[in-house]
Amino acid sequence: MSNTLRPYLSAVRSSLTAALCLENFASQIVEKHNVPEVEAGNTKEVLLKPLVVSRNENEQVLIEGSINSVRVSIRIKQADDIERILAHKFTRFLMMRAEHFVILRRVPIKGYDISFLVTNFHTEQMYKHKLVDFIIEFMEEVDKEISEMKLSLNARARIVAESYLSQFV
Amino acid sequence: REYGDYLVPVTNSQYQITLQFNLEQLPADKAGLAKHVSMLKRNVLASPFIRAFEYWESQQEGAGPLMATHYRENEAIYVQAQQDRVTVIFSTLFQEEVDRVLGKVFLQEFVDARRQAAIQNAPQVFYSSREAPLEIRHLPELRQDESVGYVSFVLFPRHFADAEVREQTISQIQLFRDYLHYHIKCAKAYMHSRMRTRVKEFLKVINRAKPDRTTAASEKRTATGRYFRPQFRQSSATSPQQVEGEW
Repeated sequence: MSNTLRPYLSAVRSSLTAALCLENFASQIVEKHNVPEVEAGNTKEVLLKPLVVSRNENEQVLIEGSINSVRVSIRIKQADDIERILAHKFTRFLMMRAEHFVILRRVPIKGYDISFLVTNFHTEQMYKHKLVDFIIEFMEEVDKEISEMKLSLNARARIVAESYLSQFV
Repeated sequence: REYGDYLVPVTNSQYQITLQFNLEQLPADKAGLAKHVSMLKRNVLASPFIRAFEYWESQQEGAGPLMATHYRENEAIYVQAQQDRVTVIFSTLFQEEVDRVLGKVFLQEFVDARRQAAIQNAPQVFYSSREAPLEIRHLPELRQDESVGYVSFVLFPRHFADAEVREQTISQIQLFRDYLHYHIKCAKAYMHSRMRTRVKEFLKVINRAKPDRTTAASEKRTATGRYFRPQFRQSSATSPQQVEGEW
């Protein structure tokens, strides 16, 4: 299954690098306001077509661009109950600390597990290639982390059962 | 039986057992006495087990009485003696969804653990997540919804034939429910600490994306000695401001 991982990540990387060409754009509707246009969605002409990069129907990345902001939403692979709970807890943990992460959105888009919002101000302050690196590394790490936690949970359960039942000898 | 000398027949109205100790006539081993008294709950809870074992010993035909102990709100232990075994059924309540899923994983391992060669002697464990086992299905006040799990242990004669082994078995069976819940909580705590480390790692990565504010860069001076102080404010990308430097 990992032979689809590399092309998937490189496709996401190149789409992100292309989408992250942002420039400042003051709001056309309200004077002196500057909003991320992909969030407000009022002026249609500055919004780009959303793009979905999918590895299979359980893992997808939705990239919605606009002139001054990009919204990246990720759906993490969740095969069964345990993975669903682990992914849910993990993303909730991250989203509660969204201020530290700057580009993280506190609420994911419907249908996805976690969302990032990158505005032109972020790309002015931070290196663009590093931002893309961060998102790609995030996607890899989350999958790895969830499978590791599941493995450790199963190992713990086995040890617990063994040690309890071996008392009965 | 255990506390015979100390048991006072008349109890206070809100309590069910009263023990009275004469401070001048205490036996020599005070620590041992304290330990013995602190096992009060364990000894009291052991009574249905002892009755079931005695029923098995008497080798009567058919199944023994089904005894239910509601030792916790919403949770109970059911003990029933039969011709060649004693069945102990726990009903345990999981309050949260996460607990439920984790409990299922742990209890599935308990059921599967018997396959290992080393613990052939252990009692057989069965687990069902919502429906009560056949033996107790006829009881009226049973809860059978998503949040309840039923675990049954089948104890073989090996576990209670000998008096010493019997006491040990009773103690271990009583501990089961607390043991299970404790390990579920430990697993949750472990996951939390892992997530916390992971979040720190992510923070490190994203801080790499911010360009360094080295001291050399922040001390750029013009020819007249004024300092440039670059500002990294989120609200607007203003040009670096000049401040009066020290002459």
